[in-house]
Amino acid sequence: MSVSSALNGRLKEMLSEVNNFHFNSSITCLEILKAMMAKKRKNDVVILSKGHSAPAFYVILSELGLLSEEGLRSFASLDGLPSHVIRGLPFIEVSSGSLGQGLSVANGIALASKLEGEEKNVYVILGDGELDEGQVWEAAMTSSHYKLDNVIAIIDRNFMQLTGKTEEIMSKEPLGEKWKSFGWEVFEVENNAEKLLKLLFELDRVKGKPKVIIAKWE
Amino acid sequence: MAKIIESFREAFGRALVEMGRENEDVVVLDADVKGSTKTIYFEQAFPDRFFQIGISEQDLISTAAGFAIAGKIPVASAFAAFMMRAWEQIRNTVARDNLNVKIITTHSGFSDFMDGSSHQCLEDIALMRVLPNMKVLVPADAHATGVLLKQMVEGEGPFYMRLGRDYTVKVYNGEELEIGKAEILREGEDVFLIACGFMVSVALEVAEKLKDLSVGVADFHTIKPFDENTLLKIAKKANLIVTLEEHSISGGLGGAVAEVLSEKMPKRVIRIGAEEFGRSSRDYLALLDFHGLSADKIAKRVVEVVGRR
Repeated sequence: MSVSSALNGRLKEMLSEVNNFHFNSSITCLEILKAMMAKKRKNDVVILSKGHSAPAFYVILSELGLLSEEGLRSFASLDGLPSHVIRGLPFIEVSSGSLGQGLSVANGIALASKLEGEEKNVYVILGDGELDEGQVWEAAMTSSHYKLDNVIAIIDRNFMQLTGKTEEIMSKEPLGEKWKSFGWEVFEVENNAEKLLKLLFELDRVKGKPKVIIAKWE
Repeated sequence: MAKIIESFREAFGRALVEMGRENEDVVVLDADVKGSTKTIYFEQAFPDRFFQIGISEQDLISTAAGFAIAGKIPVASAFAAFMMRAWEQIRNTVARDNLNVKIITTHSGFSDFMDGSSHQCLEDIALMRVLPNMKVLVPADAHATGVLLKQMVEGEGPFYMRLGRDYTVKVYNGEELEIGKAEILREGEDVFLIACGFMVSVALEVAEKLKDLSVGVADFHTIKPFDENTLLKIAKKANLIVTLEEHSISGGLGGAVAEVLSEKMPKRVIRIGAEEFGRSSRDYLALLDFHGLSADKIAKRVVEVVGRR
């Protein structure tokens, strides 16, 4: 698996002074965020439910010209960028950092936009370790119960969580089957921005069900 | 005067329909207890704006947060005891982002007498009061429930309103009440009873019983923001302050009163409330009496304390 070396380098530089804060969970999120920001229409919402990938989000913002080099260097300093994303940052509608809540928030926004008859996609990035949280599955039921085809979840399937390999800490497999049984349309793809972007466009044509992409880092 | 018995949940359910009529942005979210909380009336009136989330309070709160982000005014309602399992969601998303979510719980205190200790919520005031941005309301009767609900829905940011189930005694006759402003219902100099919720009417009953003492009663329906000015005025004239609440004596109304007075006007405060978990009972008032929260028991305790001074 490869992340563009420019993004990779920028992330490394940014985290070099902060003991590589969540480096691993950020590096696997770069390509996902890159694809999502490329796909996102003005009206769409992006929720970084795995809020500890904030460093990756900041690198993507800098790529988009929305954050300066100096801004990046301010990461986790008192008046600089927060270590987990908070409401009020560009594109960030809800603070995260506590795992498991983003999909529920996405459902709320998606239900409200359906009520208003708006065309709005709500993208949620989940960690695979995050799926241990029971609330994710409560929310997964809610999304499919209300047929929220404007909710698109992307799982950063990097097979790692804080203290070890996901399948050793708390096994997730068969992951696709789990989501399918909860009423979701499931897509599995390599963790690569081009492939993800192509898939994200195809997903707009899938109606009547929430959609989940399992982005595999192998 | 004969007591007029009122139901908190009926008052809430009816008032919520009024709110829905006045403001199209109001949406209601339920955790499969709509018949018990009476949000079912809202569902019947506005089915498109009623969202069943199932028995999942954490999902309920975070989904409500999403509605607020999208510009709606979500009312998230469930039993107080079980809403507290979403405390971390309330803390990390609703309060931290200062979202316009209105949380309204019923069955608080000992009011769910039959269901026993699992359902009787004696900690929620403390848990909500500690959160920055959160406002906390505990109405005394049906009128107060309606008036404060309206102000809460029209107000900005997150609110928590705590209601009992089916029993309270009418206190108000259409008075204007205001969030953040305590009501002095009766003046007194020897003892001042400071109460919230159903305990306000109990306090009035206690005052009637203690004919030999000059007993004041105040309704602190807003626990946060706390009306320090009214408390300090009371403390200046009263010899003894007694707090009454259907809640743990730690961290609730009694805690708020003690915090303010210890810093600004040191004074003896007797906190009367729950000191242990509840239990099942066939009768609400018998359960309150068991926990020392009947007018008789409170009056006896006040006399004991005053006598000892």
